[in-house]
Amino acid sequence: MEKPGTGKLTNDTGVALLFALPSLAGFVIFLLIPIVMSFLVSFTNYSGSFRNFRLVGLHNYKMLVLDDKFWQSLYVTFIFVVASISFQLVLGFLFAVLLNQKIKGRNLFRSIIFLPVVLSSIAVCLSFLLLFHPTKGSINALLKALSLPAVPWLADKSTALLSIIIVFVWQSFGYYMVIFLSGLQSINYALYEAADMDGASGLDKLLHVTIPLLTPVIFFSFIIALFNAFKAFDQVYIMTGGQYGGGPAGATSVLAFDIYKNGFLFWQIGYGAAESVILFIIVLAVTVVQYRMQMKWVHYDVV
Amino acid sequence: MLSERKSSRRVLERGLSYLILVLTCLIVLFPLAVIVSSSFKTEREIFSFPMTIIPNEPILDNFEALLDRFPLYILNSLKVTTLITVIQVLTATSAGYAFSKLKWHGREFVFLLYISSIMIPFQVYIIPQFIIVRVLGLYDTHLALILVSSFTAFGTFLARQFFLTIPDSYIEAAKISGVNHFQIYRMIILPLSTPVVATLAVLSFRYWWNDLFTALIYITSQDLKTLPLGLADFVSEYDVYYGPQMAASLIAIVPVIVIYVFAQRYIVSGVVATGIKG
Repeated sequence: MEKPGTGKLTNDTGVALLFALPSLAGFVIFLLIPIVMSFLVSFTNYSGSFRNFRLVGLHNYKMLVLDDKFWQSLYVTFIFVVASISFQLVLGFLFAVLLNQKIKGRNLFRSIIFLPVVLSSIAVCLSFLLLFHPTKGSINALLKALSLPAVPWLADKSTALLSIIIVFVWQSFGYYMVIFLSGLQSINYALYEAADMDGASGLDKLLHVTIPLLTPVIFFSFIIALFNAFKAFDQVYIMTGGQYGGGPAGATSVLAFDIYKNGFLFWQIGYGAAESVILFIIVLAVTVVQYRMQMKWVHYDVV
Repeated sequence: MLSERKSSRRVLERGLSYLILVLTCLIVLFPLAVIVSSSFKTEREIFSFPMTIIPNEPILDNFEALLDRFPLYILNSLKVTTLITVIQVLTATSAGYAFSKLKWHGREFVFLLYISSIMIPFQVYIIPQFIIVRVLGLYDTHLALILVSSFTAFGTFLARQFFLTIPDSYIEAAKISGVNHFQIYRMIILPLSTPVVATLAVLSFRYWWNDLFTALIYITSQDLKTLPLGLADFVSEYDVYYGPQMAASLIAIVPVIVIYVFAQRYIVSGVVATGIKG
């Protein structure tokens, strides 16, 4: 980061502390300490009061391993994360490529597709609740008009998670489109001209110029999408039954939601904390693996 | 011959692009159109098929049904969101200044630690955070929402990246003329940073105006509920009326749409800044 000649700034530790303090105080009290505490709480039977409070060692973790609901929650989380990331990135990329052409109304298209990203996910989910209504909703009415069978959407365990994923992707792929679009626009046009001169087809250019040059952006988007998918909560809460929800037979009970339910509704705080720790370890592990793997497919050297 | 074939393929590609884009925009706009139009419809007409976009008999009953509770929810949301936005802009820019323009031991390490917290889902630390908030006696207060949201690692990152583009020589010159760091921050850095301040403000406002999770954890009193909590209450009601839900949803999305229309470039630049420099 240091440019030559910038070493002139003197040591300002005292002043720096004052400037950083308002930000760092909140960070330490409400984020850093809680993360450490998550581990500690997970070894206790804490349930909101200190009566009968004691250390229980690995008991919460043992209970988790034996709990079918936990395994189902992990499975649901896995499906949700993989499916939403794939759709978000593929759709985001596709529309970025479409909008990277010189076409009329480009800004309008981009603005519309990005619009849901900024809106309240609660409002969006309530609207989809109406559309997904199994007997009266517009989507099934449309399917019926096309003489296709009606889909139970949120009401059935086989389609509830899919419905949640649809809403989640609908609301967020515009975000990745905007990131990809800015990446595409930073690609040097001369490279395409050079490819044209070599007689490359559109597909050649996509595979051998665009995608390799975009790998850092793809990698970054992937990481962001991953974090966002792991913390998705609103859709599950609003669309599959509120606080006691999680869908028919727990079909949409992702880990983030299960933690909320165990911690804040059933007051199994120690147990919920153990789940948090596992979520933390999963996110950390996936991130580390991704950073390791990026060396194999992300090109930072091409200009 | 070859170029003719190529150009007709071009036209076809163009046409296909437009078709996909227009269809997608319709799919994107449809659920939003449902919110707008259902707000003014009777329960009966909401589920009519084919759906009417302009209500046959527009009514305001759905908004009237919200009158007893929602004005307070809106007020609470405005209060909490505005305070959080102002505080986040201040803490992010001041910390951004410390991380970019001041020299101190451990700067890069603390910055890295701070920034990596962006990647941690809030569910990982929400339970102990809740315990701390309760011990501090802040449970079920707006102050709890404001304090736990008083910092933003992402905002600090944005501010720092922007401040790095401001030449150090400005600060050197100011220091030589006897100006202290607080004056430099207030009179040189902030005035030069209106784009990033606007981005921070817009992103914070949008995020906290829409936030359900934090409010759900910390607020239980009816009088303290924010608009997203009020909206979420609909799903646990026994009798479901969709009209008022849609009217309340409309109220929740309109302020953000207005901001989006006028400040879209700040929102987009916030997204892009992370994508490129991240």
